[in-house]
Amino acid sequence: MAVNKKIRQFLFPSLTPKFLIRASLVALSAYLFFGYICIPIRIKGASMEPTYRNGEVNFCWRLRYIRSEPERFDVVMVRFAGNRVMLLKRIVAVAGETVEFRDGQLFVDGKEINEPYVRYPCNWNLLPRRVERNCVYVVGDNRSTPIENHVFGQTSLKRVIGGPLW
Amino acid sequence: MVKIKHIIIAILVVIVGIWAAFYFSQNEEKRVRKQFDILSEWVSKDPGEKALTMAHKIRSAGDLFAEECEIKAPIDSLSGSYTLEEISSYAAQARLQFSKLSLHFYDLDIEFPDEGRATGLLTANLTGRSTSGERVDETHELQCVLKKIDNKWLFTNLEVVEVLKK
Repeated sequence: MAVNKKIRQFLFPSLTPKFLIRASLVALSAYLFFGYICIPIRIKGASMEPTYRNGEVNFCWRLRYIRSEPERFDVVMVRFAGNRVMLLKRIVAVAGETVEFRDGQLFVDGKEINEPYVRYPCNWNLLPRRVERNCVYVVGDNRSTPIENHVFGQTSLKRVIGGPLW
Repeated sequence: MVKIKHIIIAILVVIVGIWAAFYFSQNEEKRVRKQFDILSEWVSKDPGEKALTMAHKIRSAGDLFAEECEIKAPIDSLSGSYTLEEISSYAAQARLQFSKLSLHFYDLDIEFPDEGRATGLLTANLTGRSTSGERVDETHELQCVLKKIDNKWLFTNLEVVEVLKK
């Protein structure tokens, strides 16, 4: 009987001022947390496959680069348009480094870079280019598409808004 | 007693002044927003759109664009300065390539840096289907400049923000 009462109280709580304040605080915290700190995202597209697959759900962790700078091999969220559209990409070079592709192989400052996350071979060729100050160079893990169709390149650090939670 | 009456009147005048300033500035913002709505309608195309509707839309370009409009896009062939006639002509040609088109704007942020000049930063999402059946779904960040000419807010600059530079 007491258990029944507790369940009923849990499912249909009395609308006391204390309860309303608590519910409002929970709603406000959830809004702030999921709206600005840990934003739910749905991955659209195959540019990060097989690391992240089309249709997967994840969260953008906005506090990731509060105390540190993004580094090579980090997977980051790049603000693409407005507040809703983000690109999920991997940093392959940071400011001051020279990035280049030769027959699908990534070279940074002339050194061949091992990329275990790239599973699909490609034949990309890209002439060397230096990453500008306050910028990073990002590429997707899925290099099976022709280089012209893959969205990648240098972006400002200001646009790097965080990273995926997992 | 007279003093209190003067204070109350002064407060009322200040409130009315603030309200008027807010109302009129909002009004200008509303008018600029309206231009984006018209642009969205202007570009959008329903399947089986009648030639008359299309001709009417193309003719109404003068309500949207200034005599000279600068377009900047990552695709160099699109960038340049266009006259109103050129815009109408290119738009008509482009519309013929699609059986269905829909343009939506999100996260529109409008500012008034100078008198008679407004800037808008927004996310544009263009979806549709080409006449050959190919699906189109493009999202970009746009930076627009509008000038108040003959009491109309007209687009003078449209720039597709380049987020990633290869």
